[in-house]
Parts: sequence; structure tokens; C-alpha cells
Amino acid sequence: MNARLLAKRLTLSAITLLLLSAVVFAAGQLLPGDVGRSILGPLADARAVAALNHQLGTDQPALTMYLHWLGNLLRGDMGQSYAFRSPVAPFIGHALLKSLALAAMAAVIVVPTAIAAGVFAALRVGSWQDRLITLGGLSLTIVPEFVSGIILILILGVWLRWLPISANTRPGTGVMEQARHLILPALPLVLLLFGYIARIARAGMLDALESDYTRTARLKGISPSQVLLRHVLRNALLPTITVVATQTSYLIGGLVVVETLFRYQGIGSLILTAARDKDFPMLEAGILVVGAAYVLSNVVADLLIGVLDPRVAMSRR
Amino acid sequence: MQDRLDRARRAAGALENHVADEFLAGRLSRRDLLRHASRIGMGTALIGALAGASPARATRTGKPGATIRVAAQMPAGAIEPLTVSESGGVMMLCQTGEFLILSASDLSLKPMLALSWKPNADGSVWTFSLRPGVKFHNGHIFTAADVVATMDRLCDPKQGSNALSVMRGVLSPGGTKKIDDLTVRFELEAPNGNFPYFVCSENYNAIMLPADYGGDFEKNFNGTGPFRLDRYTQKVGASFVRNPTYWGQPALPDRTEFSFYTDQQAEILALEDDQVDVIWQISVQGAQGLIRDPDVKIIDIPAATHREVHMRCDAGPLADRRVRQAIALTLDRPGLIHGLFRGLAKPGNDSPFAPIYPSTDPTVPQRVKDLGKARELMHAAGHADGIDVTLTTERLQEIPDYAVLLQNACADIGVRLTLKIEDEAAYYGAAQPGRSDWLDSEMGITDYGHRGVPNVSLGAPLCSNGAWNAAHFYNPTYDKLVATYVAALDLHTQRDAARQIQTLLLEETPVIIAYFYDFLVATGPTVTGVNVGAISQLFLQDAAIG
Repeated sequence: MNARLLAKRLTLSAITLLLLSAVVFAAGQLLPGDVGRSILGPLADARAVAALNHQLGTDQPALTMYLHWLGNLLRGDMGQSYAFRSPVAPFIGHALLKSLALAAMAAVIVVPTAIAAGVFAALRVGSWQDRLITLGGLSLTIVPEFVSGIILILILGVWLRWLPISANTRPGTGVMEQARHLILPALPLVLLLFGYIARIARAGMLDALESDYTRTARLKGISPSQVLLRHVLRNALLPTITVVATQTSYLIGGLVVVETLFRYQGIGSLILTAARDKDFPMLEAGILVVGAAYVLSNVVADLLIGVLDPRVAMSRR
Repeated sequence: MQDRLDRARRAAGALENHVADEFLAGRLSRRDLLRHASRIGMGTALIGALAGASPARATRTGKPGATIRVAAQMPAGAIEPLTVSESGGVMMLCQTGEFLILSASDLSLKPMLALSWKPNADGSVWTFSLRPGVKFHNGHIFTAADVVATMDRLCDPKQGSNALSVMRGVLSPGGTKKIDDLTVRFELEAPNGNFPYFVCSENYNAIMLPADYGGDFEKNFNGTGPFRLDRYTQKVGASFVRNPTYWGQPALPDRTEFSFYTDQQAEILALEDDQVDVIWQISVQGAQGLIRDPDVKIIDIPAATHREVHMRCDAGPLADRRVRQAIALTLDRPGLIHGLFRGLAKPGNDSPFAPIYPSTDPTVPQRVKDLGKARELMHAAGHADGIDVTLTTERLQEIPDYAVLLQNACADIGVRLTLKIEDEAAYYGAAQPGRSDWLDSEMGITDYGHRGVPNVSLGAPLCSNGAWNAAHFYNPTYDKLVATYVAALDLHTQRDAARQIQTLLLEETPVIIAYFYDFLVATGPTVTGVNVGAISQLFLQDAAIG
């Protein structure tokens, strides 16, 4: 991908995010209640609600509010939280770091294991191990996180007491202990993604194993391990990389269920709370961050595919 | 002893002597004596003479120096005294802030920043003497000017004050007057015998702030309390340290630490794993195991928290009071209390008069399940074939379960309830008629928090001009009785009005109030001295471990 193409992709990404912010804002207007009442409670006096809405600027026309927020964003200011009366950016930064940590833990476990399982299944296609990996993975994919999460909590946390149940740690806890607290919340995600990534890796492997270049490499007398490493895997993993990239964005922004189950204050939980409280600046910032993660991970995937397969880069030129 | 009592009675006013007569005649328990004595500002000499001893001083048995760790519900927004409305924020306010009066868990009023208070003859003017030598944490000396500024802010419709709904019709901006540095006078909009409850810790927004307060409480938690802020991190937690310049006894703990949680199960796990010493506020739903755990102490405070089932009195089949009575007669109240709260609640009698209120008349017969009578009433109302009603409510704690139980109970008399259970925001809407499912529904269930006196629960949801009158109940006799109750300074008049209100509400049944559930706090087995305010507040200055 050359610089011009990259610039084009980034411009399109910016337009996508702008549209996303407009859609989120419009959808937010449909939510019941208003900001002042959300803060003061349902039984608050109407005059107090009106006064608070005026103080916060939430009594202005919707378009004015949106343009005001957008103007600030373009100047690098994400705005002030209505509920917390303080800048949004530190909340987003804190939640994003936590979500990234959880996503990283899940990715560290699922990506190598799923790819290894997919490759293993492809090399033993038709065997019981292949069936176990494909059917087992598929079955796990359809189990919702809140079901697998509760089962894992009961088995690993409550009965066996191998892993801490809460994802949160006290201030000052060491990195290794923090990582240990993230294992259990990461496992439902691992179970959810394992089957999908493994099946894509397996399919890619089977295509590559049956391709002409693999046959040619074998006929040239290259050792099986060299064929696998230098010719098969490099081509087989292209679709897997795309899948991993799209799932990474899910791991960052789509963790509402897992974050709720494990009481983890990540970006998904933050977005959920902001939507409930009609805290528009917080909601917009949270969703834009997730959206940015999504489009950027796709750009990165394109870059990686271009690096691994020069034909793709050439064709884009 | 008699001489002492006589001397004290001669020095006391008519109101104090009335309370003394009630106590001596056996119509007032010792506990209620203390509660009423505190409400009208009765002198300690008379209280002591009546009780046969001087009022006991609270004793502290724990060792000083502990760090008390608390699992607390995460505040939903900024800790701003003017706007805080949810329990997480309320609990944070009282860690450093103090009120004129403290409402104890038994509803008795105890001096805090006010030393004493007295009404005029009709209860329309109350004069408070303030505690001298009190300093805010920033060194500012507490005076009457701070009280005037704080109360004016709370009553001002232009300030976005959450307390406005409580203070409406009671006190206006300018109604609080400074007499001298240590005396303030409240000139009320109407006589109010329960006014001290409006400026005590029941009104959780009413912590005293400096007159020049600039809306930045969260930066320093500048109050007058026994702890001062060490650190506060939004959405994470807070810590406090002992205030060395506190006006009263220094706090026992060196330090308190609050961790914020969004889920009760996580709090329970934290207590069981010894990560915290106290769980502030637990709900029975989901905590049954904890409540049964012999290694956990449960602090159980009877409260007036309740759910109000409103039935529209002005339209549809529920406009016939016989139908409303019939529905109320289907409920097995002891069964509800056992099933929903494991017994940690008290039965309601379809009025806001909770058993904990001293003015509640316990001789009014308790409504009990009577399906035969309920069916007769339905038949007499011309609904022998039953009726269809939609019950709208909110998704909150046990309310959806209660709605299902109510639906099952109503089915026994042919009332077919269709349930519409919504998120809280959708249910309350704009909280104005025509823009609120709560106020527009023909039947609904609404949550009402604890209050030290029933004034608000009697007025806003049930008076003809009440802002929360979801039942659309318009009854001039009721309105007059409530006005009498609110203005009454003496217990006899209050009880007389209460009995009539209770009887009238049973007859009309605009609402069903089937239970009042307790406020629960859990602590570790060695934790002592944890004091809980009647309205979800937590006071840790006497707390210790071991």
C-alpha cells in the first residue's frame, strides 16, 4: 500500500467516523428522558431540572449541541462529561487502556492457539482431531459470553479457586497479578473466537496445501517442514489476518457483556453507562474511539496483507 | 426524682410538657420520647428527668487506628452537594460533610452543627442555635452565614437543586435569616411540625458548605466532618483520613478507603475474600447466601422505603374503588415479605405510614388477603367476568418479580394484568403528565426511598395538587387531613390525623403499599462501630476492627 492509497484509506476512515458520530448523536436524541432529570433523579422538581439543563447547555437545539461538540473535537477537545462535570478524555483513556489490556490477554491466548489448532486440523484433515477442533470450535462459537462466563466463574473461580473472579485489582498490584486477574474474563472471549479463527486458519491451510505452488515446492524436493513454513503458512494465514483484525476491534469495543459480568470498567462498560445517563460527550467519545479502532485495525490488516502477499500490493497500485 | 421532674417541667414550654404527659400516660415509648423530644428541641434536663437518667453518651469500644475498607456503590456522577440524587453520591457526601441535625437510624434527631432548635407557637418559624468552634477543613469558621447561603442555594429554583422537590412549599430563598453568628431563623411558607427533618441528614443535599462555596466540592470535599479527603478518583474510589481539627471526638480510624462497585456480587466476593470490611447497602436479591453466612454481620435498619402500586382513580375500571380494594385484598403480604425479602421487611397497610413512624396509628386494622371479599367486591362493581388492566413499571431490584406476583394474585379474582416493564428512564419519562408512563399509566409500581417523616410521601403522590399523583387521586378531605398532619406540632394531633388518613386511604385505596423493606449493611465479623444513617448514609468515626 503506497502513501497515496494509505492517505485515501485514512480520509475515508475519517469520513466514516464523522458519519458515525452523527448517527450516534441522532440515535441519542431518541433515548427517553433528559440529562438534567438523569442527574437529579426522576422525582426532581421540574424547575431544578430546567435550571440544570440550562447550566449544562443541554437545553439548546440538538444541531447546535452537535456542532458545538464537533467544533471542540476538531480542536482536540472531547468535551466535558455531563454527569461527572469534568473532561471526557481521562475517562476514555483509562477505560481504553483497560479494554486494551483485556483484549490483549484474550488475543495472546486465542490467536496462537486457534491458528495452531487450525493448522493442526488441516494437516490431519478428516481425523478425529480435525472433527474435534472444527465441531468443538463451532459449538463454542454459539455459546454466548454470559453463559460461558458464568460457567467458567463457577468452575475455575468458585469451585477450584484457581483464578480470581474479579477482573479488578487494588491500586499498586503488580503486572503479573493484574494479568492473572484478566485470565478468567478473557476466557469467554477466547472460547467465542477460537472456533472462528481456527476454521479460517484451517480453510486457508487446506487451500494452500492443495495449491500448485505447494505441489511444485514438494516436487522440487523441499523438505515438508520448509514447505509448510515458507510456502503454505505464509499464504494460508492471509484470510486469518483479516479475521483477526476485525475481531480485534470487537475485542476492544464489543466487550459490554464480559465487562459487565466481571465488573470491569472498560470502554464497553463506559459506553453503556454513558448511553443510560444520556451523557452525550462521553458516549460520542467512547463510540468514536471504538470506531477508530475498527477502521484502523482494518487499515493495519490491509498493510499486513500487502507485506505478506506482494501481489495484493501490486494489484492495488 | 419527682422534684427533679417537676423542676424540669416548670422550666419547659407547653409543647415539651405535652410530650412529657404523653410519655407519663404510657402513650409514648421511651424510644418515641427521645424521637419527639429531639424533634421539638426538648431540653436535656427534662428528657433526663423523664427517662430517669441523663441521656446516655455513646460509648466507643473499638481500638483506634484502623483502616476501614468499604465496598460502595459507584456514584453515577459528580459529587456535587446541590445535585447529588443517587445513593453512591449521597454516601460520599456524608464522609466529610455534616448537617445541622443528624437523623439516627431510629429516626431520633441528634444535634450535629446545630445545638438546639425551637419552633414558635404555630410551627411556622424555627430558631436554631449553632455549634460554636466548628471549622471547615480549609480553616473557614462555620457561622450562620454559611447556613443561610447553603439553604438559599438548596431552595433556589435557578440553581438546579435536587432538594427543591423536598423544600417546595416549605422554605423559599430568603426564608433563612441570620440572627447572629450562631443563631439562624427559618421562616417557613406554612407551619410545619416536622421541619427539623427537612434540614437534617434526611435531606441528604443539605450538608453545610461555606458561604463562598464555588461549586467545586469534588476537588477537596471541604466539609466540617471527622474525616478529610485524602484522595478521590472518579469511578474508582476514595480515601479519607482523620481530621485533627474536628470539633467533636476524633475519629477512631486513621483512615477509610472506599472502592466503587457497580455490581453487588462483586462486593460480596470482595467481603468474602477479605478485600473489604464493609459492604454499604446490600439488596436481599442476590445476597441470600451472605445474609445466612454466620461469619458476616448484617446491620438491619428498619426503614420507610417502599413500592407504591398506584391505580388511576379517575378513569377506566380502576376508577371504582371497590375494584381497587379487591386488588389490594388479593395480596398475601407476609408471603411477599418472605419471598422477596427473606423476612427483612415490614407489612404495609396501603398508606405511607410505615410502622417505624411514631405517628403511625397501629390500631388501624391491617389489610389481609381475603379472596372471598375481593370477589364479592368485583361482583358488586359489575366485573364478575373480570377486567383487563395494563401494569406499567420499571426494571429495578425486586420490582419485576413483585409485578409478576401481583399479576398472579390478581388472576384469582379475574383481573388480567398485562405487564409492561421498562427501563427507569422510559418509565419516568419527563415526569410530567402526558409525557410520563409513570404518571399516565392506569396502574404502575413506583419506588419510593426512605424518609424520616412521611410528609413528602403523603403529599406529592396523593394530594390533589401533588406533582407525583400517578393515581390521579383527588380528595379534598384527604388534602385537609394532610395539611393538619403536616402543621401539627404535638404527637396527639399527628396521631389523630394519621389515623384518619390511614382509614381514608384504606377505604379509597388509590395506592397499594404492601411492604416497607429494611436497609442492610454487611460487615466482617470483627468490625464494630459502623453507624448507618436512616437514609443510606454511612458514618465511620466510631468504627474499629478487632
